[in-house]
Amino acid sequence: MAIFNALTRLLVILVLWLMLPILVENVVYRHINNGLIEKKKKFIDNLNQKEINDFIENQDDSTETYSQFSTLHSEFLVLSRVPIKPHQKKTSFSNEYRIIEGEENEYRILQHHFTYENEDYQLEIGSSLSEVKDLTFIIKLFIIIVLVVILLVTFLADTFYIEYLLKPFYKIIDTKIRRVNEPELFDHTPIKAKSRDFRELDLVLNQMMDRIAELFKKEKQFISNVSHELLTPIALLKNKLENLLQNDSLDDNAVDKIAGSLKTLDMLKKIINNLLLISRIENNQYEANENINFQEIINDLQEDLQDRIDDKGIQFVNKVEYDFVFRGNKTLIHILIYNLVTNAIKYNKPDGKIVVFDEFLENQYSISITDSGIGLTESQIENIFNRFARVSSDQEGQGLGLAIAKSIAAFHHIEIKVTSVLNQGTSFVLLFPETPKHN
Amino acid sequence: MNILIVEDNRELAVEVYDFLCNTGYICKIAKNCADALEEFGSNDYDAMLLDLGLPDGDGFEVLQAVRKTKSKIAVIVLTARGELDDRINGLHLGADDYLTKPFALTELAARLFAVIRRIHGFTLNNLSIHGFLLQLQDYKVSFNEVPINLTKKEFDIFQYLVLNKNRVITRLQLTEHIWGDILEVNSDSNFIDVHVRNLRKKLDKHTSIDWFETVRNVGYRINE
Repeated sequence: MAIFNALTRLLVILVLWLMLPILVENVVYRHINNGLIEKKKKFIDNLNQKEINDFIENQDDSTETYSQFSTLHSEFLVLSRVPIKPHQKKTSFSNEYRIIEGEENEYRILQHHFTYENEDYQLEIGSSLSEVKDLTFIIKLFIIIVLVVILLVTFLADTFYIEYLLKPFYKIIDTKIRRVNEPELFDHTPIKAKSRDFRELDLVLNQMMDRIAELFKKEKQFISNVSHELLTPIALLKNKLENLLQNDSLDDNAVDKIAGSLKTLDMLKKIINNLLLISRIENNQYEANENINFQEIINDLQEDLQDRIDDKGIQFVNKVEYDFVFRGNKTLIHILIYNLVTNAIKYNKPDGKIVVFDEFLENQYSISITDSGIGLTESQIENIFNRFARVSSDQEGQGLGLAIAKSIAAFHHIEIKVTSVLNQGTSFVLLFPETPKHN
Repeated sequence: MNILIVEDNRELAVEVYDFLCNTGYICKIAKNCADALEEFGSNDYDAMLLDLGLPDGDGFEVLQAVRKTKSKIAVIVLTARGELDDRINGLHLGADDYLTKPFALTELAARLFAVIRRIHGFTLNNLSIHGFLLQLQDYKVSFNEVPINLTKKEFDIFQYLVLNKNRVITRLQLTEHIWGDILEVNSDSNFIDVHVRNLRKKLDKHTSIDWFETVRNVGYRINE
C-alpha cells in the first residue's frame, strides 16, 4: 500500500523533473524577452539621427555597426545598416553564441529591423544566458532535493500511518474471520477502531455472523428434530410389530409380512441414522480431540467383524505395525475404518482375503485396506463415494457407507485414494495429514 | 445387552462405560436429553442409566418419554440430589431403581443385573430352563451340574432368548442386542444362524431341545 503510493509519487516527481527544464526555460526566456523588448522600445523611442551616427561613427571598422557592451558582458547592443529583405520578420528572438571582446558566451538576442529616414537598420540587443543557465541548474537541484525529501517523508509517514490506520482492519480479519471455524465460537467483542469505516465493517461482520450462526443453529435444531420426530415413531412401530409377532394365531404368510416390515423399518432407521451422521459431520458437530491408536481400532474391528469374516470364509490379514497416534474423533474414525472393512467383506469373493497394511510415505502415515473382491471400473470409482451409489445392481446395500467414510475423512483432513483392478480387488488408502489438523 | 448411559459428566460416563463394557454389555453414552431421546429412538436398549441434572433439561423428561413408548427397558436413575421428592417422583414415573452419586461400580452392576432380571420376570440370580442353569454373573451354563462350554456369543444368545422366553426374537433383534449398533444398511445376518446352530448342537447333546424353536425365516423362540 505504502509502496504503491510511493511509486506513484515517484512517477509524478519524475514527470515534473523531466518537464522542469522546459518550464524554467519558458519562464526565463519570456522574462528575458520582455526585458529585451523594453530596452528596444526605449532605444527606438529615443532614436535620432545624431545618435545613430554616434553609434555608427564610433565604430572602428567599416561594417557600419555600433556595439555597446555592459561590463561583465552580460548585455550588448549592436546597431548596423542592413538592408531589409522582403518578407523578413520585423522582430525575432534567438539563442546564439557571440564572441565579445574575446569571450564566447551564449546570448538571448532580439533582432529588430527598422527603417529610419529611408535607411534600413538592424538592431540587435543581447542578454547573456550564462547566469540563467547557472540559475536553472540551481533551481533544478533545489527542486530535486525538495522532491526527494518529500518522497521519503511521505513514504515513511504513509507506512506508519497506514499501518496504524489499518490495524483494526487486520485485527478484524484475524480475530473475526481467519480464526473462526464455527459461528458459535465467533468473538462478538467490538474491535477498537478510531475510523468509523472499520467500526461499521466490524458491526456488519458481527451481524452477518449472527445470521450465519442463527442458520447453523436452525440446521442443528432441524437435524435434532428430524432424528427425534422420525426415530421415535419408528421405535414405536417396531415395538408394536415385535409384539404382534408373538401372536400364535398368525399364519405363516402374516409372520413373513411382519418380518418383512420389521426389516424395512430397520433399513429406514439405519438410513435416517446414516444421513443424520453425515449431516452432523458436515455441520462440524463432532469434536476431534481424542488420541487414536490404529492398532487398537483394527483389533477391535476384527473382533467385532470376526463372525462376518468367518461366514464368508475370508482371510483377514492385519499388518498394522506402526504406533501412529492420530488426533481426532475416535467414534468417527472407528466408523470410517469399519465402513471400509465391511465394504471389503461385502464385495469380496468367497474365501477371499482382506489385508490391512500401514506405512510411512515421506513422513505421511497411510493405512490401506485391500480386498480380493470383484474390483471396480474407472467410472465406478468416480461414483462410489456418492450417496446411495451402488456398485452393481444385484448387490444390496444403500451405498451410504462410503459416503460416510468420505465425510469423516474430509472432517479429519484425511485423503482417500482408491485403486482397483477388475476381478482382482480394490484398495482403499487413507493418507493422513502430516501435521494432524482438526477442527 | 444394550445399555444407554445418559450422563453429562464425561469422566464419570466413560468410567461407567468402560466398566460395563468389560462386564459384557454393549454401551452407548448420551450427554444430554436430546441425545438420549434420539439414541432411544434409534436403538433398542435393554437398560438406561439416567442422570437427572442434564445440561438441556431434566432427566425426568427423558424418563417420561421413554415410559410413554411402553418398551421393556430398565431404568436406573443416577443422581447427586438424593432428595426424597426426587425418589418418589422418579419411581412414580417408572424408574426401576435409584443410585445416589457417588456409587461403587460393582453396586451399579449388581443393581443393573437385578433390574434387568426383574423386568423379564426372573427373581433368582440364575436362570433355569428345561434343566439348563445359566449363571449370569460368571457366564456359565450347566446341565444337571455338568458344565457346558459355550462361547461368549453363544452364551449371550442363549441368555437373551431365555430372558425373553416365549417370545419370538427376530434376527435383527439378536444382532442389535448382541453385536450392537450396526450402522450398515442391509447387513446380512447369516452369521447369527451359525452361532445358533452351534449353540443348539451343544445343548442337544444333553437333552432334547424341541423348545428351542426356529420361527420360519424370522427368528428364534425359547418356550418354557
